[in-house]
Amino acid sequence: MVFSKVARTAAAAMMAAGLLASGVQAQEDPIKVGVIFPLSGGAGPQGKHVNWAIEAMAKMINEDGGVMGRQLELISRDDESTPAVGVSRANELISEGVDVIIEGWNSPVTLAMQPVIARAGIMDITAISKADPILSGEGNPLAVRLNSSNAQDGAVIAKFIADAGATRIAFLTENDAYGTGAQASIEASLKEMGHDYEKVAEELFPFDQADFRVQLSNVKSANPDITIAINANEGLGMPAIIRQAKRSRLPGTLVAAVGTVAPSVIEVAGDASEGLVGADIYFPNVEPFASNEVNRRFIATTEELHDYTPDKFMALGATALQVWAMAANEVESLEKEAVANRIRGGSFENTLLGDITFGENGQLNSNHYIFDVTDQQIVVRDSAN
Amino acid sequence: MRMMTPLSWLIGLGLMLIAPALLGGSGAVYSAFVLIAIFAVMSYGLDVIVSDLGEVSLAHPVFFAAGAYASAIGSSRWGFDPISTLLLAIAAAAIIAAGIGIVTLRMREFVFSLVTYAVTVVGMTLAANWAFLGGSDGITGIPVFNIFGYSALTDRELWPVAWLLLVAALYLVRCFRRSRLGQEAMTVHLNPRLATMSGIDPHRVRIQVFLFSAPITAAAGWLYSYQRAYISADVVDMYFLILMLTAVVLIGRRILLAPLIGVALILCQEKFLSFGGYVDRIILGSVLIVILSFMPRGLAGPAFDMLRWIKRRAKNINT
Repeated sequence: MVFSKVARTAAAAMMAAGLLASGVQAQEDPIKVGVIFPLSGGAGPQGKHVNWAIEAMAKMINEDGGVMGRQLELISRDDESTPAVGVSRANELISEGVDVIIEGWNSPVTLAMQPVIARAGIMDITAISKADPILSGEGNPLAVRLNSSNAQDGAVIAKFIADAGATRIAFLTENDAYGTGAQASIEASLKEMGHDYEKVAEELFPFDQADFRVQLSNVKSANPDITIAINANEGLGMPAIIRQAKRSRLPGTLVAAVGTVAPSVIEVAGDASEGLVGADIYFPNVEPFASNEVNRRFIATTEELHDYTPDKFMALGATALQVWAMAANEVESLEKEAVANRIRGGSFENTLLGDITFGENGQLNSNHYIFDVTDQQIVVRDSAN
Repeated sequence: MRMMTPLSWLIGLGLMLIAPALLGGSGAVYSAFVLIAIFAVMSYGLDVIVSDLGEVSLAHPVFFAAGAYASAIGSSRWGFDPISTLLLAIAAAAIIAAGIGIVTLRMREFVFSLVTYAVTVVGMTLAANWAFLGGSDGITGIPVFNIFGYSALTDRELWPVAWLLLVAALYLVRCFRRSRLGQEAMTVHLNPRLATMSGIDPHRVRIQVFLFSAPITAAAGWLYSYQRAYISADVVDMYFLILMLTAVVLIGRRILLAPLIGVALILCQEKFLSFGGYVDRIILGSVLIVILSFMPRGLAGPAFDMLRWIKRRAKNINT
């Protein structure tokens, strides 16, 4: 009798010790962070850069003590810019037991992955993909997105047109969901602002077009005050438009849609980019980012790890991880609902983008900055839009 | 395959049903099995055209997409249940197949393939640009597969449905090959003149085989839309065409399990031995080129030759 009582007590003590040990082990295990971007194919280099940025941010967070005292471990996958592959990779990460997935270069890939990740109950943050349905709640009722939406971008360009007092507007627009959507957003914002304008030309072209001479000739004959170029093909199409517009002596100002003029575009377009106007949400070495301590540390860490100065897309990827880590630390939970509810409609101070807020639908409220291209350099105008 | 008895079929299919659980039962394993089943069913539709009718249809991604889009639109916009969306998918594919069948009535071989390729190009452009099909954003909001109270939220829960669909496709193709239509298709394939002299109308046979084939591929698209919960223009991508063609010819034609084994081998390479998107596609295309150029009977051809040689050797030694 006594023996059995002792045995039961000993067994209970051993079980308690085992549970305690496993609990301590769980506390010490790193938190797995899934990252899905294209790492091969046309968008592979940009996807790799975003991975570098998230890696740099994870290093910064780990140096500061991690999330809830646990270190972050990144598990990266290549979505190959293909929705079916993205879904497959998302399933792999879910099986690996990740607590959050940061994804999204191509909208169709994001839209394909969203329901799979949402059904698994895992926090899903979209860094770059821009399609409006991403925040519709159909694929992921608790969606969060960092990159600016078409509506935000349209309002910025519309304000620039109105401020410039331009009334004769021409559009050179990529003929797909992105291009026509972006143009519709600009026109809707102009109408909402009550700005009277005349659409003197509208030329549509496919994504892979490189010769715009016919379209530019039509636009030139319409004598616009401002020509809006909407072309997401930053490798080929946008530099071609800029060069050919200069050569055709296009009247008025050439304005590029938000986020379509990376430094590489200016490099390819060369002297022809002089006088080009654009808008974007992040510039690593321009105020207010240049004096932002977190941004400076992020740039230094990325340059130390990969000898590369981060661009906007990299900053968005890193901010996605930073915001998630801040929210998880604050609510002291990795649960999707708790973290998502903290981010959606919430505000965060001292991020690498500065002090930021999110809309109730999970969209980051971006600050846009209008810039001019002068001597092949981006020169940001004073005020944010 | 003739040696396989109904009992061995039952055991084999039963083992396949529990295989994901035997292999660890993780979400990734179930996902792989569901995708293999769906893409195998997709390939069986093309298999009867290539193996039995002797033509190369390049329009089958359109049937797959027709099934996927019909299911996506039916479920997300009109609130149809899975049975209704399956019927809608079959109807959509059958209508397209009838149209292609009538247009290509008198075409054979190269011209036939070219016209079917043109159909796929038109399909790709329509899918990417037509607002009704969601344009380049695609269709979201496809509900969870739910039938007779059975809800398949994850691939683990969808696996029995995918398995059933695969079994149905295997059964249909097996029945087709034993049917009068299957025999007529082979006669038209091997000797069109003899077929005509025997009173077989090659045009009628071709349309009937097309009408039999398209719904099988469309049914795969139907389940794919529930598995992905999102459909966009990428379902008409060339990848699916190359996947189907390679799966059909890789092991060998007119072997019932060949497309299933072919798809399983290809997906295993992409999943576990992946070299990145573009390299994987080059591998897939290269396999297709090598098989068509140097191994017209597929991998099974040399394997069967080897078996025959071993049997002959064994017989000679015994005598």
